[in-house]
Amino acid sequence: MKALVTGANGFLGRHVVNALLARGIEVRAMVRPATRVDALGWPASVDIVRADLRSSRDLVGAFAGVDVLIHLAAVVSGGEDAQFAGTVAGTERLLEAMSGSACRRLVLCSSFSVYDYTAARGVLDETSPLQQTPDVYTRGGYTVAKWWQERVTRRYVEQHGWDLTVLRPGFIWGRGNSYLAALGQQIGRHHVVIGPLTRVPMTHVENCADVFALAAADSRAIGQTLNIVDGPGECVWTYLSDYMRGTGARGWRLPIPHWLASTVVRLAFVTVFRRATKVPAILTPKKFDAMLKPLRFDNRKLRDTLGWTPPLDYQQCLARTYGPVTAPTEAPASWSSGTAASI
Amino acid sequence: MKAALIGAGQIARQHLACLNTLPGVRLAAICDLSPATAEAAAERFAIPAWFTDHRAMLETIRPDVVHVTTPPTSHFRLAMDALEAGAHVIVEKPATSTFEELEILVRRAKDAGRHVVEDYNYIFNHGPQEILRRIETGEFGAVTHVDVLICLDILGPDGFADPNSPHPALNLAGGAIADFLPHLASLSHAFVGPHRSAQTVWSKRKPSLLPFDEFRSVVEAERGTATLGFSASAQPDAFWLRVYGERMQATANLFETRLTFDGPRNVPKPLRPFFSGLEEGRDIRRAALSTLLRKFKGPGAYEGLWECLARTYQGLSAGASLPITGDDVLAVNRMVEAMKPRGTTEMRELRA
Repeated sequence: MKALVTGANGFLGRHVVNALLARGIEVRAMVRPATRVDALGWPASVDIVRADLRSSRDLVGAFAGVDVLIHLAAVVSGGEDAQFAGTVAGTERLLEAMSGSACRRLVLCSSFSVYDYTAARGVLDETSPLQQTPDVYTRGGYTVAKWWQERVTRRYVEQHGWDLTVLRPGFIWGRGNSYLAALGQQIGRHHVVIGPLTRVPMTHVENCADVFALAAADSRAIGQTLNIVDGPGECVWTYLSDYMRGTGARGWRLPIPHWLASTVVRLAFVTVFRRATKVPAILTPKKFDAMLKPLRFDNRKLRDTLGWTPPLDYQQCLARTYGPVTAPTEAPASWSSGTAASI
Repeated sequence: MKAALIGAGQIARQHLACLNTLPGVRLAAICDLSPATAEAAAERFAIPAWFTDHRAMLETIRPDVVHVTTPPTSHFRLAMDALEAGAHVIVEKPATSTFEELEILVRRAKDAGRHVVEDYNYIFNHGPQEILRRIETGEFGAVTHVDVLICLDILGPDGFADPNSPHPALNLAGGAIADFLPHLASLSHAFVGPHRSAQTVWSKRKPSLLPFDEFRSVVEAERGTATLGFSASAQPDAFWLRVYGERMQATANLFETRLTFDGPRNVPKPLRPFFSGLEEGRDIRRAALSTLLRKFKGPGAYEGLWECLARTYQGLSAGASLPITGDDVLAVNRMVEAMKPRGTTEMRELRA
């Protein structure tokens, strides 16, 4: 079995390549033309194909001999239009190429951000309401791009009769990418912790990568949409404490009840900012909800469908994230945003 | 009037948002090679139809005005097709890749009784408009010189210098900086008129994919002189406009709302700098606040684009003259042409 992995040198992609190899699946890794792959420590068996989904003309050749596409590539930095062009138009080009190949199996990396957090109540799972148009356009570039990426993919799948699995990870964390937007507002080295007892929908990058490799290989994943979280998630306060301990970061933590912050944000939005569209994310109610709304999360459907349990527990994940480096040297992703990880 | 747009990228968002606010203008259709990009823009801006083939759009919609907001090397072909379909054309700068193409385009528009408008949005920002108003009233005095300098870091990996996906503007003579020449030339043209001669220095200060990252030009024009420049290394980002008149001087940063004037005062001469400094400080503080507030809502630094479009549509619907005429476009681009690099002899490696 051979898998084509887009975004293979990204934060998640590097680990997905390793997880696929560990399951005995051959890998063709698609990376951007200027990417340095020698620092990634991949074995020689990994077949490298260089292409940029925004501009490369001939992508069909990348699918030669490929049984499954694992589509992880997304642009997470730059402006809203750059993210849309890279993520959505790039997906169109990729899937157009796939339609000219024999590959009929596709695993898409979507995101928790496609859910409508403001409408969600209680538990957020695969049955929760999704963002709808035109409301989705108030959620910011990352959400718009991921929502459209999933929309475009489902249209291609319907048109061509492909086998699709959509995986929606929560906050993906790990070494080099452990500060999450769910932690509240950082001011200098200090933290305003909004809803300190709120659970974070999180999955460690190695656990998340294991799900992608499993879904690619397991036919029970076909036709499924599955959220990826390692479990109910840690409390914001606990995770932030571990983050500060692990990174050696110093600073004060100011806990604010979620209901109080939510009320202030909503009041300010309609009075001070008068529903302005370019207000910082944390001061925009829908974005505030997507980052900080206290919901419950579980991975029941993932467990029931694929029989998956996270290979690493939370303590092991902490050790992998903040402990001594044991894995091959990790090069930074070519399109790392340098900002808090998004969902 | 029925408007349509080709190329739903970054700058298109400003055109579309503005068009939705203009009275008597109906956004009828949008076109992009990417179906999702076209459809998303149609949803976001409540546009009733979207296309991936611009000829099909022109044929089906028969728009009165077509906005061309694609990468510059495709402008000429799309604008010609729009004129062919009987529409006026509003095209993003640079209007065409070569001056020869521009002459053909303007001539074709004239023959067809249509207009071609190149977007010189920064002229229509509040700062330049206020300076022009004071020139008009005589308060400023005759302009002797204008100095325009864009300081903009375009060397980052996500922009023009992206090693993975070269920016289309790199195909223009002068590379990425050529994308900014119409701004420099149009501001010069607005204050000192058509150019007579131009001396330029193109250079490269830092290693990158760009052929040049620094540009300076000294222009002799009909009503005065101009110094125009672009620097990818000077920081922070700013768009400085300084206009020197026989009675006043003005300074504006077109990325912000900062605009200050210095001129004669009814105080003893030794005290003039003191009172000028006080007034300038007050104006800068006010501009700091308004620059912050405009980040939350509205077009921000693109305010001039909205103003330019509003005046253009007013002119089109009334059959009156437009704020940017075909002759303006030709004059500005003659200056652009005179400033473009000639061969490699002008390229100088500067010590960083």
